[in-house]
Amino acid sequence: MNLDPLEKRKSVKKKLKKLEGLPTLPPIVQRLNLMIEDEKTSIHQIANLIEKDQVITSKILRLANSAFYGFPKKVSTVQNALILLGINVVKVLIITSSIFEIIYKEDVGLWEHSIGVAACSKILAEKVGLKEPQEVATAGLLHDLGRIIQKVSFKEEYEKILELTKNGKDPLQAEKEILGIDHAEMGSFIMKTWNLPDRLVEAVDAHHEFEKAKEFKKEAAVVHLSDILIHVRGYGSSLYRKVPPLQEKALKTLKLNLFEIKDIFFKLEPRLYELKFFTEELKREMELNT
Amino acid sequence: MQRLPLSYIRPGMKTYEEVIDANGRVLCGKGVELTEEHIRKFEEFGVSFITVEGNPVKLPWEKTLEEELKELEERFEGITDENLLEIKRIFREFLEEKEKKNLESTESTQTEN
Repeated sequence: MNLDPLEKRKSVKKKLKKLEGLPTLPPIVQRLNLMIEDEKTSIHQIANLIEKDQVITSKILRLANSAFYGFPKKVSTVQNALILLGINVVKVLIITSSIFEIIYKEDVGLWEHSIGVAACSKILAEKVGLKEPQEVATAGLLHDLGRIIQKVSFKEEYEKILELTKNGKDPLQAEKEILGIDHAEMGSFIMKTWNLPDRLVEAVDAHHEFEKAKEFKKEAAVVHLSDILIHVRGYGSSLYRKVPPLQEKALKTLKLNLFEIKDIFFKLEPRLYELKFFTEELKREMELNT
Repeated sequence: MQRLPLSYIRPGMKTYEEVIDANGRVLCGKGVELTEEHIRKFEEFGVSFITVEGNPVKLPWEKTLEEELKELEERFEGITDENLLEIKRIFREFLEEKEKKNLESTESTQTEN
C-alpha cells in the first residue's frame, strides 16, 4: 500500500506517540523526571535512587570516566557525577547507555559518528561561549536518534530510504518522500517524550534545517556545524556518504570565520584519537557478550 | 612519539614526556624506560594516557596521509558549495600540518638518541 507522504506522516506520528515498538527506557528515567521537577529534591536523594541500581550505576561511572567526557579527575560516585555533569547529563547517560546496545547492534558506524559529533559539539559550544557545553554535547550524541528509530521500528520504510539514497537521492528528501517525516523530527519527537530539555530537542530538530530553530539558534548551529565537520573529518559513518549541505546562516549565527575552523580541527583531533580507543574497547566487549 | 591508553603500555617502552597526574604531580620523568612498577603507579594515580617514544603499537584504524586525502576527495565528490570547499581546503592544510609535526617529533627523538 502506497500512502501519500501526508497520510504516511500521520500514521508514523501516531505510532511514535504510542511508542509502539520503540526502544524502551528503564523505569528509573521516569522516576528521575519526577524528582527533577520537584524542586525540593536534593542531589543526594537522586544519587540514592540511582545507586540502588547497580548495573546503571556502573554504566554511568564508566561513561563518566571514559574518554567521552575526558574529566581529568576520576568520577568515583554517582553524587560526584551529578555535581560534575549535572542532572540532565546523567539522565541522558542513563538513556544512552540503555539504548547503547540497540544502537550498536543496529549501526556501529552511526554510533561512532554520533560520538564524534558530540565531541565536536562540546568544542564548538565552548568556543562560542554557550553555557553547559556538556549538555550541548548530548544533543550532538542524540542528533541522529531518529535514524535508529527508523531502523528499528520502520524497517520496510528504512530499506526503501536506503535504496533511494543509493540511487543518488538526498537522504532528507528520501525520508520525507517515504515517511513524510525526517530523522531530525522523529528524534526530537522521541526526545520530547523522554522529557529532555527543550534546548536539546530543538538542536536535534533543526540540525539539518537550521531555520527550524527558534529559541536555541546557537545550539542548533553548533550541532549542525559539528555534523558537517565530522563528515569532513571522516569519523564513523551516516546515511550521508558525502559531506551534507552546509547552511551558511549557521556560521553567521555562531559569528565564526572559516579560518577559525582549523583551530577546531586541531582541538578535535586528539579527542577523536582518544575516543577511538574507547569505542574499539566497547566494540570488543559487545562482541564478547553476543 | 605515540600517545597510548595505559592498557597499551608495556614495560620497556620509553616516555616521550613527563607523566603527570590530574593534580599536576610528576609521576615519571622524560625518556625513562618503563617498568611494571611504573605502570602500576600510573594506574593507582588515575593516569589514562601516556606518550611514549617511537611508534611501538600498530593501530589497525590508523591511516596514512595519502589514504586520508584520497578518502577526503571521495567525501567531496560533486560538492560545489564554496563554503564547504573552503572547509575542505582548511582540513587539507590541517592534515598536512599534523603530518609535518609528527615527522618533526620523530626526527627530534632520533637525534636525541
